[in-house]
Amino acid sequence: MYMLSVVLRGVCCIELRHFRIKSVLYLGGFGHIPVFAGYIGDGFLDACAVGDVFASPDMNPMLESIKFADSGQGVLCIVANYGGDRMNFDMACEMAEMDDIEAIKVIVADDVASASKEEAKKRRGVAGFVYVSKVAGAAAAKGYSLSDVADVAQKASDNCRSIGVALSSCTVPQAGKPTFEIANDEIEIGMGIHGEPGVGRSKITSVDDVVDEMLSHLLEDRPAQAGDRMAILVNGLGGTPIEELYLILRRAKSELEKIGVKLEHIRVGNYATSMEMAGASITLMQLDDELKTLLTADAVCPFWEN
Amino acid sequence: MSFTTKSIQHTITEIKQVIDPIGAELNELDGRLGDGDLGVTMINGFANMGRITDDMPEDVGQALFAAAKAMTAVSGSSFGTLMATALMAAGKSVKGRDAVEWSEIPKLLQLAQDAMISRGGASLGDKTVLDSLEAVIKATTGMSDPESMQKAASIAAKEALAEFIDKPNKIGRARVYADKSIGLEDPGMVAMCRLIDAIPAK
Repeated sequence: MYMLSVVLRGVCCIELRHFRIKSVLYLGGFGHIPVFAGYIGDGFLDACAVGDVFASPDMNPMLESIKFADSGQGVLCIVANYGGDRMNFDMACEMAEMDDIEAIKVIVADDVASASKEEAKKRRGVAGFVYVSKVAGAAAAKGYSLSDVADVAQKASDNCRSIGVALSSCTVPQAGKPTFEIANDEIEIGMGIHGEPGVGRSKITSVDDVVDEMLSHLLEDRPAQAGDRMAILVNGLGGTPIEELYLILRRAKSELEKIGVKLEHIRVGNYATSMEMAGASITLMQLDDELKTLLTADAVCPFWEN
Repeated sequence: MSFTTKSIQHTITEIKQVIDPIGAELNELDGRLGDGDLGVTMINGFANMGRITDDMPEDVGQALFAAAKAMTAVSGSSFGTLMATALMAAGKSVKGRDAVEWSEIPKLLQLAQDAMISRGGASLGDKTVLDSLEAVIKATTGMSDPESMQKAASIAAKEALAEFIDKPNKIGRARVYADKSIGLEDPGMVAMCRLIDAIPAK
C-alpha cells in the first residue's frame, strides 16, 4: 500500500486518447484503493490526479491530468467535498482556463452522517463518488456533450446517499499511529472515510441491528416509497471480509424490499476503502432509466466490469 | 520602463539570494503561533520559482501563472497556496500582455487581495498579510515610479505591522491563541515587510 502510494503520486493515467469522446477525471487524495487509479479504463475515468494518503494533490498534478484528458472538448472533473481538494481544484481550473481548456466540476457530498439535511452542501464525499464516476464515464463514452455529462453526473450525485460504520482505525503512514482509538467491542456509526467522527459510538450489536440503524439514517434523509428503483453499493473499508459485507447486503435488501424498493443494481466489495480500516458503508442511488442505463453500460477497468 | 517578465525574473532571483535568513526569522515567528512552516514555505517556494525563471514566457500573465505553479509544487501550506492564489489573480488580469504600467500594479494587488480573501476566508482586520497588502495598495495607488512605489510600500507595510502588533489574530491557527497573539508580530505581515525590502529597487 505504501509503495503504491509513492509510485502513483503525481499524475496517473492510461493512454486511452483514441477511445475518448469526452473526458472524465477524478481529483483527490490517495489511500482509498481502488479509488481512483483502479477505475481508469474504457467507459469509466480517463485520468486521475492523486495526492498523498488522505491528502489532496496540489494543483500541478491536477492541471497535468486535465491537460492530458482534454481532447479539445473540455473535461469533467469529479471532486469529493473536502476543503483541500476543492481549493486546489479551483486553482487548477483557473490554470486550465489560461490554456483555454474548459474544466467543469461536479462535487460529490453523499455522506448523510457528516452534516444535517439543511447543511447538505457541507457533507463529505464518500463511496458515492464511485457511482458518479461510473455514470459520468458512461455518458462521456456515449458521446454526451460536456454540459450533458456534467448534468447527469450531478443528477447521480444528488441521488446518492451513503453512511459508513467503523470497527477499527487505520494508520496514515505519515502520522505513524492509528487515526482514532476504538475499543475491540465498539462500533462507530457514521464514521468518515478518513476516520472523521461519526454520529454515535456504541457496543457492537448484530449485523442486522447495525444495518437497520444505517438504513434509518439513509431513509430519514431521503425517504423511499414502494416502486422506487435503486442501486445499492455495500462497500468494504479494507479490513472487513467480503462474507460480512454479504451479511450487510442480506439485511439491507430484505428491509428495502419490505418497503417495496426495487434494487436494480447490486454491488458488494471493496470499492472505496480507508486503508486497513475495518468497517463498511452503504450507498443508495435512486435510479431512473438514464442512470440505470449508464450505470450498467459497458466499462472495462481493473476494479469494475459490466 | 514598465513591468515585464524581466521584472518578475529579476525580483525572484534577488529575493532568492536573501531568503534563507528571512526564512529562519519567519519560521521562528510562526512557531510561536502557527505550525512553524512559514519560513520553509518561503525558502522552498522561492528556490523553486528560481528554477523556472529562465523558462518564463514574455506574456506577463503566463509568467505570473508559472510562478504560482512553482510555488504550489513545493508547498501545501496555506500561505503558499494564498501566494499562488495572489499570483494567479494578478496574472489572469494581464493575460496576453508583454508589459504592464507600474501605475497598474496597485490594481493588480487589489485583485490579488480580493482572491486571497475569497479563497482563504480571512477579512481585513484579522491581523494577516491582507492588512499589510491593504496598506501597500493605499500607499501606492496613483504612483507610477517603481522606486518611490517600493519606498512607500516598505513604509506602509511596516506601519501596518506596528499598528496591528497589539491586536489579536482572528483567523487560522493563531486565532486559537488570540490573547497570546496580542503583542506579537504576525508572521505573514513580517514576511510582507521583508519581501518588499528584498525587492531590487530597479
